[in-house]
Amino acid sequence: MHMADALLAPAVAGVMYVASGTAAGVSVHKLKKDDEPQKLPTMAVTAALVFAGQMINYTIPGTGSSGHMCGGMLLSALLGPQAGFLSMIVILAIQCLFFGDGGLMALGANIWNMAFYGCFIGYYLIWRPIMQSKLFGEGRGAGRGRIITASLIGCIVTLQLGAFSVVLETSLSGITELPFGAFCALMQPIHLAIGLVEGLITAAVLTFVYEARPELIQCASAAGGESGKRSLKTVIIILAIVALLVAGGLSLFASGNPDGLEWALFGNSEAGYSENMGLDEDSFGVSSSTADLAGSIQESTSFLPDYAFADSDSPVGTSVSGVVGSVMVAALALLICFIGGFFRKKKQKS
Amino acid sequence: MNKMETALHELSEMDELASRSSPVHKLGPTAKLISTIIYIAAVMSFGKYRLSALIPMLLWPVLLFQLSGIPVRTCFYKLRIVLPLVLAMGLFNPFFDREPMLYLGSAAVSGGVISMLTLMLKGVLCLMASFLLMATTPIDCLCASLRRLHIPKMLVTLLLLTYRYVGVMTEELAVMTEAYSLRAPGQKGIHISAWGSFLGQLLLRSMDRAQELYSSMLLRGYHEHFHYAPMKPFSAADGIYLFGSTALFLFIRFVDITRILGSRFVR
Amino acid sequence: MIEFKNVSFAYEKGRSVLSGVSFKIEKGEAVGLIGANGAGKSTVMKLLLGLIRGEGEIYVDGLEVKKDNLPEIRRKLGFVLQNSDNQMFMPTVCEDMMFAPLNYGLTRPEAEKRVDAVLERLGMTELKYRHNHRISGGEKRMAAIATVLAMEPEAVLMDEPTSALDPCNRRAVINTVKELGQTKLITSHDLDMIMDTCGRVILLSGGRIAADGPSDQILTDRELLEANRMELPLSLTPRP
Repeated sequence: MHMADALLAPAVAGVMYVASGTAAGVSVHKLKKDDEPQKLPTMAVTAALVFAGQMINYTIPGTGSSGHMCGGMLLSALLGPQAGFLSMIVILAIQCLFFGDGGLMALGANIWNMAFYGCFIGYYLIWRPIMQSKLFGEGRGAGRGRIITASLIGCIVTLQLGAFSVVLETSLSGITELPFGAFCALMQPIHLAIGLVEGLITAAVLTFVYEARPELIQCASAAGGESGKRSLKTVIIILAIVALLVAGGLSLFASGNPDGLEWALFGNSEAGYSENMGLDEDSFGVSSSTADLAGSIQESTSFLPDYAFADSDSPVGTSVSGVVGSVMVAALALLICFIGGFFRKKKQKS
Repeated sequence: MNKMETALHELSEMDELASRSSPVHKLGPTAKLISTIIYIAAVMSFGKYRLSALIPMLLWPVLLFQLSGIPVRTCFYKLRIVLPLVLAMGLFNPFFDREPMLYLGSAAVSGGVISMLTLMLKGVLCLMASFLLMATTPIDCLCASLRRLHIPKMLVTLLLLTYRYVGVMTEELAVMTEAYSLRAPGQKGIHISAWGSFLGQLLLRSMDRAQELYSSMLLRGYHEHFHYAPMKPFSAADGIYLFGSTALFLFIRFVDITRILGSRFVR
Repeated sequence: MIEFKNVSFAYEKGRSVLSGVSFKIEKGEAVGLIGANGAGKSTVMKLLLGLIRGEGEIYVDGLEVKKDNLPEIRRKLGFVLQNSDNQMFMPTVCEDMMFAPLNYGLTRPEAEKRVDAVLERLGMTELKYRHNHRISGGEKRMAAIATVLAMEPEAVLMDEPTSALDPCNRRAVINTVKELGQTKLITSHDLDMIMDTCGRVILLSGGRIAADGPSDQILTDRELLEANRMELPLSLTPRP
């Protein structure tokens, strides 16, 4: 789910940076206030562990494929939302800087899509309510049940949110011609499956830790105690919201074609957005025409349009000059390489 | 080699490249970081059909590759992650956007194809830029410059510590994966029965490790304060580099060099 | 320099790890702390460094180990961890060695001078700018010792300094340890190394001191060692 720089418009990337940066600032402030100096090394080691853990292949029984985990929920369940968020930021930064996974400008968006939802939404709206509820009753088994439920729901919901954000950001950036609805219909179900697997992995790891050292898991010890006042009703409401979200994703997939409401919504927000942000008109003038093209999915089967043999009115001259110019730039690049190589050889000899 | 060993190899490769010496390596990290961000932002801001205008942006990374002596091969290896993603997004464009844009002889190239190619080129350029930054700047210098840019101390220290332990943890997991696969021949990954314990075991051990690490910090006088690599003062060379590169990016962004060059020969 | 007065410690009530341990180490002495797994060796170290609190009194250079004195005490003691990866948390050897001096208020050039001096003395100047995750196990252990020496501590504590090293690296570590002028307290199962580096040995068993005396006396006492789940150093084991 790592976004690349190329998939975003600078304005979108900037907005996401501001959003993620604010969340990071608030987190740093909160952690500073808590003043637990030993937390820093714990965060670092756990973040490094999750980084490495993302590379483990988990075989999914019954299929030939394997799953992976992303770790937002895992980190916030172990470290708390703020520390988990910061750890996730660092993981994403290292992936982008050293492994070319993601991008320097897309980092803000990636933090939002993968860390913010997993750590804050996942923690405050799913993990904590469920862990503090009386779901499954009392005792150790109940704790395990709550962990499994919270991890599963948490991962599914936060991945759905993340996937939706990816769609939204890419579409707002005017990068893909794929209509918004179709894009959603493609992304959401895939991430439903990914979220399910991630949820299972997270649940497995967390229950293992819970058996050995329950004090390491956030809210696990508080369960059933005085904070158990969170009623079953809250949990049920949350579950309902989750169900609604999932159903929404599924119906999108089922319908395949986006309905009018969505288009209106998207169209409007886009217009307002580009006005406010002063977005590059190139990207936007055209992407609104994606709406007109939306109906033509089944028609479009060939790369080249029917009118491959064009009439002479078109600005042939300008496009050819573009091609010629490009060739010249390429030649210039080669020249730089040649000169560089020449000087390096000379240096080696001397 | 399993995935983790590959990652370890990549990490130490980046370290090795960053510790080399060249005119680019000698520049201050802050100037390089800002210049890289401006470059990427400039590349991102090109309109989706402006393929030919975007091409001159390629000259900058090519120049840096030559000046720094960093092998391009290493960078292209990293493209394996970004390119498929960009391609997946761009692949739909030729289907949806069939307006002819360019005529090569009698064949028309649709807008979708152009925008797909633009997207791919953008992907390559952005990756090159951030790769060049990291291949010429050691992590401790980068952290020092992040501090200068007022990134919170906690976050920078966390980055530094995590970076250090990424190597350690990846190595441990690589060994564990090896040990697992030796006792489970024919399995492609971790079986569901070990999903929890595989990472969980290491996680428990890591908590003790974190404790020990914290002790080690305390025993050497740590009190909420980390000292980073020396902050080199922002030198004149840095200023020239930053100013010059930014001016160049803006020039390429707003002046269609390709077209101007081409139109001298074709009318 | 170091004094334990009737020190006891228990992680949980009823499960005592140390009970009534008393000993005194003079300035410049080199003492080996030996004992089977779980005998309480690392607990002694942790108590001494103030990482955990027990009952009884512990003094370092006349200062009691308690919260107010910790900064001063920790400055006097250099602790080499068994796992060098946990000790070396900065990216490069040089940065790691400068960590403590900088924390103790030295300026960067001063700290760097100290780093150079220590590396020079240990004959490993080429390691200075190397990355911690790119150096070999032996180099890492030596670098960890260098990190501690850069603090210029009055006493050096070491936890298994020769574990998992090849003979050559082990010898290098032993030679380095022998050359250190500071007070030394070394825990190890490598009895040959203890024999070589320490003049005095404290044998712990079940949280109590089973023996305390010159190393050539204790380490040659087969019955005593075997009664406490140890054995003679290999160099003293008669060959059939």
